[in-house]
Amino acid sequence: MTNMTPDPWNDDQQLLDDLAQAIRSVAPIARTVAERAEGALSWLTVDEELLFASLSFDSLEDELSAVRSEPGDTRTMVFTAEPLSIELEINPRGVLGQVVPPGEGEIFVEAADGSVLSAAADDLGFFVLPAVPEGPVRLRCETATGRLVTHWVRL
Amino acid sequence: MEDDSPITGLVAAAARGDQDAWNELVERYSPLLVGVIRQYRLTANQLDDVAQTVWLRLVEHLGDLRQPEALPGWIVTTARRESLRMSAAERRLTPFSPLEGVQPVADTAEPDQELLRAERHQALLGGLAELPTRQRNLLMLLVNDPPLSYAEISERSGIPIGSIGPTRSRALERLRRTQPIKQFTDRPLELEQDRR
Repeated sequence: MTNMTPDPWNDDQQLLDDLAQAIRSVAPIARTVAERAEGALSWLTVDEELLFASLSFDSLEDELSAVRSEPGDTRTMVFTAEPLSIELEINPRGVLGQVVPPGEGEIFVEAADGSVLSAAADDLGFFVLPAVPEGPVRLRCETATGRLVTHWVRL
Repeated sequence: MEDDSPITGLVAAAARGDQDAWNELVERYSPLLVGVIRQYRLTANQLDDVAQTVWLRLVEHLGDLRQPEALPGWIVTTARRESLRMSAAERRLTPFSPLEGVQPVADTAEPDQELLRAERHQALLGGLAELPTRQRNLLMLLVNDPPLSYAEISERSGIPIGSIGPTRSRALERLRRTQPIKQFTDRPLELEQDRR
């Protein structure tokens, strides 16, 4: 035992009191969050051929770790799933995207509420998203190389 | 996670698309999730967005969550990371202020105590989440606000009045043995001085 202080949680009433305090500190927000989360299961994907692309780079995280005086104007994100990846450049005017390897394809932006925006990638794999929804979204991409879906992120 | 914890079964069922199992998982773990996100200076809408992102991520992750005992740690880590990302996104939109960090912040004069309280709450909420259903239900009724009489607790839980005391003791004993509580009470001594 490294801990010489008697643990107050050995006392039933103390443990129950602290538990009550912990629960009260998050209720009723936790209830609303739980109710809102129920629909998330409808996004469960059972599709063996779909590639899951993880967020392999996000310039926001660089801003978090680096000591920088000014955050950049453009956020860069890269989603990778061998052999296909998507690069995004997000700035206040919109979102520019690049599919790698370059090639024509369809891009879908799926929001948690089920709404979908689509865009076409040209023969160089370049696409433009005119607007992105608030809240979590994921990108689905279909090209000759394969089909990919990204992690849920906020753009 | 001990054998009688329902989490393993709930994760497996949810991964097969069982909506009831998923609902119970999010009900059990939303208090812990909110406890983590609340440490960051976010608006109510931002908190909602971060929470929803974490649950959507968990849905993609269910199939490869081979060890359900990793679930609370996964939730805490993902929630912290997404909260920080949200803070960073927020800073891009507002004029930069060198005095504002993006670390967990507390609105009190004693940030250390505030942080310790948050960790204590997370340990309790994480432990509660993995208790067997009957024990968890009883503890939830016992800490109900406003307090319930033993007669009401008995009626709502289906536990005879005479068994409430012993069940309460067993539930609390079980709570002490959960991984989140053990990790918190076994933490290094130097954190102990600010306790209470």
